Amino acid sequence: MQTIIDLANTIFKPIIDLGAAPIMLIVLTLIAWAVGVNFFHALEGGIKLAIAITAIGSVIGLLTTTYQPALNAFVKSTGINLSITDLGWAPLATITWGSPYTLFFLAILVIVNLILLFLNRTNTLDVDIFDIWHLSFTGLLAIYFGANLFVATVLVIFIGILKIINSDLMKPTFNDLLDDWENPMTTTHLNYMMNPVIMIFDKLFDKLFPWLDKYDFDAAKLNEKIGFWGSRFAIGIYLGIFIGLISHQSVKSIATLAFMAATCLELFSIIGSWFIAAVEPLSQGVSDFANKRLGGRMLNIGLDWPFLAGRAEIWAAANVLAPIMLLEALVLPGNGILPLGGIIAMGVTPALLVVTRGKIIRMIVIGAIELPLFLWAGTLSAPFITHTARALHAPGIPSTGLFSASTKEGPIEQFIAVLVGKASKGEMMMVLYAALALVAYTALFFWYRHEMMKRNQKYSDDGKEVADDVKFVPTHGAASSAE
Amino acid sequence: MTVKILAACGAGVNSSHQIKDAIEKEFKKRGYNVQADAVMVKDVNEDMMKNYDIFTPIAKTDLGFTPTIPVINAGPILYRMPAMAKPVYDKIEGVIKKENLK
Repeated sequence: MQTIIDLANTIFKPIIDLGAAPIMLIVLTLIAWAVGVNFFHALEGGIKLAIAITAIGSVIGLLTTTYQPALNAFVKSTGINLSITDLGWAPLATITWGSPYTLFFLAILVIVNLILLFLNRTNTLDVDIFDIWHLSFTGLLAIYFGANLFVATVLVIFIGILKIINSDLMKPTFNDLLDDWENPMTTTHLNYMMNPVIMIFDKLFDKLFPWLDKYDFDAAKLNEKIGFWGSRFAIGIYLGIFIGLISHQSVKSIATLAFMAATCLELFSIIGSWFIAAVEPLSQGVSDFANKRLGGRMLNIGLDWPFLAGRAEIWAAANVLAPIMLLEALVLPGNGILPLGGIIAMGVTPALLVVTRGKIIRMIVIGAIELPLFLWAGTLSAPFITHTARALHAPGIPSTGLFSASTKEGPIEQFIAVLVGKASKGEMMMVLYAALALVAYTALFFWYRHEMMKRNQKYSDDGKEVADDVKFVPTHGAASSAE
Repeated sequence: MTVKILAACGAGVNSSHQIKDAIEKEFKKRGYNVQADAVMVKDVNEDMMKNYDIFTPIAKTDLGFTPTIPVINAGPILYRMPAMAKPVYDKIEGVIKKENLK
């Protein structure tokens, strides 16, 4: 496989030398065209992708150029080494979609999804093509740390299968949270792969602190009171002022830092939406391709996570966790990120909602406990993210300094990718660590699966419609032992 | 007259933009002048809603207040199956006609 990639690289070297934007324009256009999209729609998507890659590079440059001197002064004045710029998730998505490997992983994962559907191992058709970038990020991280393409692909397939299994397991809980048992929506989003870890703490809560649940408050009212003070741009302004004051900047510099952070956080989201538009023709083409081959079978539809965004607990927990994360970042050993772009912890709170089913105090406490994992994973991934961003050759990206994201989804998967990558170099200790990590990750997932099946069985016993393969006692056919 | 629609999702980046684009495209075909905006659901407030005729969140949404404009769940637009999106468009068109927004 690597030989084929090397050969392709040699043949297409003149194009590759042009940088990521023209390459991805050509690659995305051709692939969308190949899956049946009208050529001009495919080309439109390709051009939008090239524009988004170019734009994101410029905004990363704007943010890091403004913040790097202040972050260096912050380190000097406080002795706390938090010099990695936190870009948030949108630039990371852009950087990852700037790699041709992402389209390779996309093709593999679509095939895996179809195989699982044909074998009746899942009921979920994943149409959230855009979020394939999360698994591509994991695979690319493994490659950066030493894995070859084959190993990275196996890792991506392995996690991809667990994600699809998880989407089926969570489906009844989504119906419960949405109060809609006819709902076909589920999700394979990587953020929900934190569920097994969260469930350990949720079970501890059940045993030790169940009385805390009576202090749950009205999350919607809290969000309404916070209003625009919790918005993206407002948080950018607070952090700019905070960093400026701690790093002893002038009033003028503090104002620049504040407004630049607010500007860049807004721009990251706007440019992020260009990406969605860019991959839209491909997403529709892939979905049409899959639907045609499934002959009208009724399935769960795998979407991006925000169909749960209407649950106020997600935002109340994110609002409360933002200052907690800032404090944790300041004192956490081994952390190098000062939260900025990722401080609204959207990659953290949806999984907390699903596991706790909206118990807001649990969400906040467990969220505070697990946030260090995200900060450490972000720190660990910073050299890879910085390297990959610079490889885009997009104008504006500075040649010094590190950048990352403080709440990138899938921190455990990032640790595993790093271990698998290092193990691929043949160092025995790393092979052992990677093997142990994979065994623990798999065992934890299957314990979580068992717990979710218990939960789903209760839904079924209460008269709710639950698919047979995610509970213990089939509704139709011979009953098996439940517990 | 332009019909103004507010779409909302988690980050205001992915799903809400898909809803916005799909609604604008469909209603252009149906002969309406529709302009949709996409925002983060946590940023939606009563003042913002005053600027719109219809609210189309990705799913049932607890905003902490009762919207004064019609709310239509636009999640099915994201299923990428025209037959499932059509009822959403029909509901929006029903509201446009009922409220005489055209």
